[in-house]
Amino acid sequence: MLGNYTRPPSTMIAFGTSITRPELFRRCAEPGIRRAAERDSEVLALPAVGSIFRSYNALLDQAAAIAQLEALVLVHQDTEIVDADLCHKIRDALADPDVGLVGCVGAIGVRSIAWWEASVTLASFINRYEEHGGGDLHSFSWAWDDAPPYAHTGEVETLDGFLLVASPWVVRNIRFDESLGEFHGYDLDFCLQVREAGRKVVTADFRAIHHRPLEMIPDPEPWVAAHIAVAEKWDGRMPRIGTEPGSWRDRAMRAEAECDLAWAIAHGKELELQARTRATERALAQTRGSVSWRITAPFRRIARSPA
Amino acid sequence: MIAFASAIIDPAAYMRYARPGIQAAAEPAAKVFAFEAIGTVCRSYNLLLDVAAARDDLEALVLVEEHVELAEPALCEKVRAAFSDPAVAVVGWMGATGVRSIAWWEGRISCGPVVQQYDEHGGGELPAWSWTEVDSAPREVDTVDGRLMALSPWAVRNLRFDEELSLGVGYDLDFCMRVREAGRKVVTADVRAIHHHKLDLVVGRELWVEAHIRMAEKWDGRTAGAPPAEVDWKARARRAEAEREAARTLAYSSATRVDARVQPLERELAAMTASRSWRATAPLRRLNRLLRRRA
Repeated sequence: MLGNYTRPPSTMIAFGTSITRPELFRRCAEPGIRRAAERDSEVLALPAVGSIFRSYNALLDQAAAIAQLEALVLVHQDTEIVDADLCHKIRDALADPDVGLVGCVGAIGVRSIAWWEASVTLASFINRYEEHGGGDLHSFSWAWDDAPPYAHTGEVETLDGFLLVASPWVVRNIRFDESLGEFHGYDLDFCLQVREAGRKVVTADFRAIHHRPLEMIPDPEPWVAAHIAVAEKWDGRMPRIGTEPGSWRDRAMRAEAECDLAWAIAHGKELELQARTRATERALAQTRGSVSWRITAPFRRIARSPA
Repeated sequence: MIAFASAIIDPAAYMRYARPGIQAAAEPAAKVFAFEAIGTVCRSYNLLLDVAAARDDLEALVLVEEHVELAEPALCEKVRAAFSDPAVAVVGWMGATGVRSIAWWEGRISCGPVVQQYDEHGGGELPAWSWTEVDSAPREVDTVDGRLMALSPWAVRNLRFDEELSLGVGYDLDFCMRVREAGRKVVTADVRAIHHHKLDLVVGRELWVEAHIRMAEKWDGRTAGAPPAEVDWKARARRAEAEREAARTLAYSSATRVDARVQPLERELAAMTASRSWRATAPLRRLNRLLRRRA
């Protein structure tokens, strides 16, 4: 699987997860780590200690003490790594000594913790949800054959934190900023710190399944607070972050208008949901109730029965 | 005399929706002013107000947008009941309290038995504002929706729509704000009607954003009757930008929820109609349809 690649002696890729729900870890992260880890990989599966910032710092502290550390793969407990050759891909990406972080979902032109509103260059994951009977939403570069022309690996401004690979330098020199809150914005802030320190943040061609609900922000208030905190921290320190054209008054007026517009679009989507559900259920009922469907039922039963 | 008025942009829509409803609701002596729209909504409505104001016998003026189909035979009775309180100046079919912007539906909505008829997805009908909880009408509100509103003679003779609000939205909120600043009341009435409209709440998004900004600048965050407040614009901008991103993300989540819920049903339907048995019996269904048409 690894071809002619020869690993440097005495190095090791470690995996780290912070666990708040053990059953979720066992169902999602653990099988992926088993799939990707090498025989000598160390797996740091620690119970969460407060916020994700603090929990991830605990993982970084432990990983930093591993002398032969080659990389640390930080995996959300609900994230399942798909690639059995992940370690090989990590070594390829970290062959450039300037690379500090590697991920499989990233964006450029980022202005806030809502990095998905920027220009996403790679999104190699599936959102596996349980609502409405369950299903998969394939992101745009899950399958390269279907990927749009703007999908590519390479340098980005931020990564999605559900699967992050940190170089040994990052593990030993950068920490998550525990002053920012409980969860939101930790990934963008970490990427900004790495970039401010002169290292690169890149995407690479590996994939994961994110087992998560469809609702991206179930509790908006802490998210809003994190958005403000990250904007305040980085405005003037990193281009584009926390900045927009116009005076503060202009910005407030426009953002309030655009916020109301976004809500109106969301309400329209709710109406679309009701309309499409009604139309399809009506058509299904008409089809099932039709004479032609009912009289042909025995044929379908025969077709379904094993030969 | 309760008069009716419409500013017509799309004559076919007026003939199909507004006119039959007006004819059913109007009393025998009622006057109907159906004029071609001129320029903006505000300019057209002001022309209608000018004409109605000249009528000495005016009891109320009902402004009907062409896509609104009245289905309320007792409309005049209900309008009279609302105006029996002399402080009431505007009566609407739907409105809200707690309104902060032209997105008045983000407040607490009050509405009668209004339904929305749409053409998308094979067409259909939904109760108005079916995505949220709605209070019944009648009720005192901050603003009403301008597509169906009745004005008292005082409003017709003393107020005009602000023609500087030239983008076609927000004119109703502005009018209601001025009514309330003048110490008069705005209320909803229990009016049965059909609104023929797309499922999207906002059509012409960029213009709508500009209209939102203009209204906010005009009223500067004031509610009717309240003095302007000191504003920390930086804090307000930071919060608004954060809330906007959250709202956009929630809108995105709503879109994925639509796909997640509807696509399995659509796939099931597609599998049924693509099945061999369904295709084999297609001639029978065609014959059936033919026989039904002949009968």
